[in-house]
Amino acid sequence: MVPPILKELFKTKKLDISLGIFIGMVIISIFGSALYPNPLAVAGPSYRPPSNAFPLGTDDRGRSLLALLITGIKNSLYIGVTAALISLAIGVTIGVISGFKGGVTDSSLMLITDLILVMPAILIMMLIAAYLKERNPLFVSLVIGITAWPWVARAVRSQIMSLKSREFMYMSKMAGLRDMRIIIEDLLPNMASYIFMAFVLLMSGAMIAEAGLSMIGLGVTKGVTLGSVLYWAQQNDAVRRGLWWWFGPPGICLIALAASLLLISTALDEYFSPRLKGG
Amino acid sequence: MSHRGKSLKKKLLSLYGNPFIRFVSRRVGFLIITFVIFLLIIFALPRFIPGNPLATLLYAIREMPPETLQLKQKQLIEQFGLGKPLEVQFYEFIARLFRGDLGTSYSYPGIKVVTMVFTALPWSLGLLIPASLLSWIIGNLLGALAAYKRKTLIDNALLPAFLTLTETPYYWLAMVLLYIFAVTLKIFPTSDAHNFLYFPSLRLTFILDVLWHWTLPFLSILMGAIGGWAIGMRSMVIYELGADYVSYADSLGLPDRKVLLYVFKNSMLPQITGLALNLGTILGGALITEIVFNYPGTGFLIFRALTQLDYPMIQGAFILLILTLLIANFIVDLVYAYVDPRIRTGYIGE
Repeated sequence: MVPPILKELFKTKKLDISLGIFIGMVIISIFGSALYPNPLAVAGPSYRPPSNAFPLGTDDRGRSLLALLITGIKNSLYIGVTAALISLAIGVTIGVISGFKGGVTDSSLMLITDLILVMPAILIMMLIAAYLKERNPLFVSLVIGITAWPWVARAVRSQIMSLKSREFMYMSKMAGLRDMRIIIEDLLPNMASYIFMAFVLLMSGAMIAEAGLSMIGLGVTKGVTLGSVLYWAQQNDAVRRGLWWWFGPPGICLIALAASLLLISTALDEYFSPRLKGG
Repeated sequence: MSHRGKSLKKKLLSLYGNPFIRFVSRRVGFLIITFVIFLLIIFALPRFIPGNPLATLLYAIREMPPETLQLKQKQLIEQFGLGKPLEVQFYEFIARLFRGDLGTSYSYPGIKVVTMVFTALPWSLGLLIPASLLSWIIGNLLGALAAYKRKTLIDNALLPAFLTLTETPYYWLAMVLLYIFAVTLKIFPTSDAHNFLYFPSLRLTFILDVLWHWTLPFLSILMGAIGGWAIGMRSMVIYELGADYVSYADSLGLPDRKVLLYVFKNSMLPQITGLALNLGTILGGALITEIVFNYPGTGFLIFRALTQLDYPMIQGAFILLILTLLIANFIVDLVYAYVDPRIRTGYIGE
């Protein structure tokens, strides 16, 4: 039995296409990394264009770019998910407390949120990363995660505010339930779809942010991400030397991943907010 | 005297009652707090991050000839005021900042950080200001068009294009444009901001040369930024088109054009706030784009400073960038206060 929500959702082609692209990339990264367990190993001569032996050519050290790309997708996805979870945890916590408590707690939490919102996340990320000597994927996720949450907090807060005045809330309050229980049992389930959309958007933002950090030389210091393949291409002047197979594919994969996630959230958004759906 | 004092107080009070002044002064206060917090972060990071980066730096320069090493170490200790109590360090940091002293560069000994950043900043601004304003205008118009033509071929073609563009990093777009138009077709130069045979001047040849070098980086930022604005405007207009006043105006038989104008105006306000919020993101992307083109702006400066662990330069560049950004934010706030009728009419009513 397919739930009616899913049927309705897949009526629009947006979700089919975007989910298809995204899941395809995930599958490639999982099975591909089994095929290429050691992407950093020298595989052949340097600067080879795509051929049968090296479907995406080789880089300056003779590493297979296909192997690097596949591992890069996997690590970028890892950073995307981890950073999004960190941002979501901070953003939802602050948003819920702020919206639920109101008063001084609310205004002081929102002041902090607004302050961080004004500060450009990418610059703060660069600053923190600049002082970290070794950066593994988890560190990079942390740096991205702790700067990307303010809009989530604001959005969750306004959701809570509107949920607070619903009838079931009064019922729960009259029943004498504790705040924590009301939040977990009444409020959060009502926002599940919303939180999921935020997660998807955060994930796509985090993957783009990772690539940006890498490009300025502040990405992971060990391992491969889509950003670090782009960075190596830049460092070796791949564009001016016409080595399109080096800088092209990682960019396309990054955009495909990020754009498919954005499209997923757009499709969900149109489904869940009737005013966008109609008209 | 006391009378005058009273009237001044009254005047100030009535000024604060003015919604325009109130809005703007609150925003200024907010931006100042933001700047102070940013300075705290800049101050705290090198001092509190585990695995002290300054120690790393001292370690990294250990193989220099002894006399340079001593000089560098002395510079480092002076620059960061190491060894003194923390509050003294912070006081000195702020005091120097107010004197406009951001220290001297490590990698270019004797050259002041302020000089370096102020030489680089105009190049960045020359890319950023036109690109962000123009992308904002074009994006909003295209977004409104897509919303108006909803469920037609136009929207179905535009929306995926917006979605892809907004997720395309400027620097990757820069790489692609560079590869197509400079490397393959050889229409544009492959790097730098001007030909080094020309000495910077106001002669026409130099200006044309600068524009020629400017085109590709400018286009990368412009194209990359359009998508985001268009998506925002599209959903804003769709949302407004569903509002009660639109159906009311429709039922009154108002011409479509007039209704659209109202919708456009109402959707514009949030987009102005959006401009303030997104300037930082555009700036970040533009900084990285400069690296692709070897464009001599702040991004390229920071990139080089990072590879050379030139911490005074990194600090200085970030402080001036944030300051620029907050000033830009303030200008956008002023525009917002002027455009928003709720604030403006209060202003005129005084």
